[in-house]
Amino acid sequence: MLIFKLCNFIKGYVVINLKTADYEKTLNLLRRKNIRIWDIEKLDEGIKFKILYEDYKKYTEIVNNQNYELINKKGVSLKYKDLKLRKGFIAGIIILIFCFFIFSSLVFNIEVVGADNNLSNQIINILNENNISMPQVSSTLNDKNIETILLKNLDNLKFVEAYIEGSKLIIFVKEKENENIELKNNEPSSIVSTKNAIVNKIITKNGQTVVREGDVVYEGQTLVMGIVKKRNSEEFMMVPSDGTIYGKTYYKFELKEEKARNVLISTNKNKKSYFIKINDKNLKIIGDTKPFENYNYREEEIRIPIISRFTNISFLIGKYYEEKQEIINIDEITAQNKMKIKLYDDLIKMCSNDSKILNTSFDFQDDEKNYYLNAQIEVIEDIGKKVRIYPTDEKISDENKENIND
Amino acid sequence: MKFKKLRNKLADDLEIPNNVVSDNFEMRLQGNNKVIVENHLGITIYENDIVGIKAKDQTIMIKGSKFKIEEINDYIVIVKGVVEEIKIITKG
Repeated sequence: MLIFKLCNFIKGYVVINLKTADYEKTLNLLRRKNIRIWDIEKLDEGIKFKILYEDYKKYTEIVNNQNYELINKKGVSLKYKDLKLRKGFIAGIIILIFCFFIFSSLVFNIEVVGADNNLSNQIINILNENNISMPQVSSTLNDKNIETILLKNLDNLKFVEAYIEGSKLIIFVKEKENENIELKNNEPSSIVSTKNAIVNKIITKNGQTVVREGDVVYEGQTLVMGIVKKRNSEEFMMVPSDGTIYGKTYYKFELKEEKARNVLISTNKNKKSYFIKINDKNLKIIGDTKPFENYNYREEEIRIPIISRFTNISFLIGKYYEEKQEIINIDEITAQNKMKIKLYDDLIKMCSNDSKILNTSFDFQDDEKNYYLNAQIEVIEDIGKKVRIYPTDEKISDENKENIND
Repeated sequence: MKFKKLRNKLADDLEIPNNVVSDNFEMRLQGNNKVIVENHLGITIYENDIVGIKAKDQTIMIKGSKFKIEEINDYIVIVKGVVEEIKIITKG
């Protein structure tokens, strides 16, 4: 019986209230037409019964003149017919599914991880040149191809990995570091000069000194050689050089400082502007773009939850802070002190850590517009630097390796 | 009439179900809640307390209360309710 009811529900049925007095006649008429009816109930006025929807159409023809009322319609097929009538709704669902499918299969932006802004822009430009621009269908993006393109075009990359995550193409990069090849203590080495200098003091622990105190040496010149002659033999051997060579070096500085300087001083006035940001393009909604002659601009991005993630659309609040230009006169002592501080800052960067200033000579001058400082500094510092006598193993070509082995 | 009796007798002798060879109705009762009548010809009367079912030579009158016809088609009629009395009226 349950299956019978289930079948009826799937096919669809209608509940009818027959209000005529001779309803028995109608029931017999339907029976003769082989129309199945069920759940017949006596009501105060006539009877109520259920009939299949497809039979109901026949029934209307048979008892067209009868007084009847359609109480209810039930069943899956009737719902389906209703859906067919609601074409707009169905079309909307189809478009929604289609849009969902399209948008979920698109990659909208590129995110570069592990690189600064310059390198990120460089990577995006290279991808654009190779016809990889956003938005693009994710199935057309080949991870390996992108990695190959980047590794080919950028020599300073050590590692590249590209993968798609949601609507983003994520490119993970690692830059090559400047490899400072550290010298091991037991490696044969020489000491060379790092600067043009006059040799002041030589302390050699190992190796053969090739310069004397008072000699003028140039940058790159060998100071202590790592090749020494063996005792009681004509043969030479390579040794690790060790020692400290102090040299007098001279630094010249020419600095300039303006007597009057234009300075921007902030007033308390500010104005706001509102923008809508679509794919790095700002469209103004409210406010002026340049409300002041001189201003300092700051912006705040407001991302819309979910929408910003998928569409790259967000709001921007731009704040313009008014600034006023003023001319400040700088007095001579302040200018001199400022130039001296800058000079010593620069000198510290140029010299080694254990350097010592021997003599300084400052010459201050000025004209209508500027103050000038011409300075010469005499410094004693360590000018030696260890270098390998032969190239490292990694740089030896296969051919040379064979020769060495022979 | 003689032919009809002969058919019934033949069906009994050959142990064939009677309704296969004759036009007689077959009625089953499930307690006093349900009456199933097969081989009927239609409904003569239907009220809450009485249901009349027409067969070839008889009319079945079912009396009781809360009657509801569960199903009716060309062959079978199922009546549900509290059955108190069943009367078979043969045509005179």
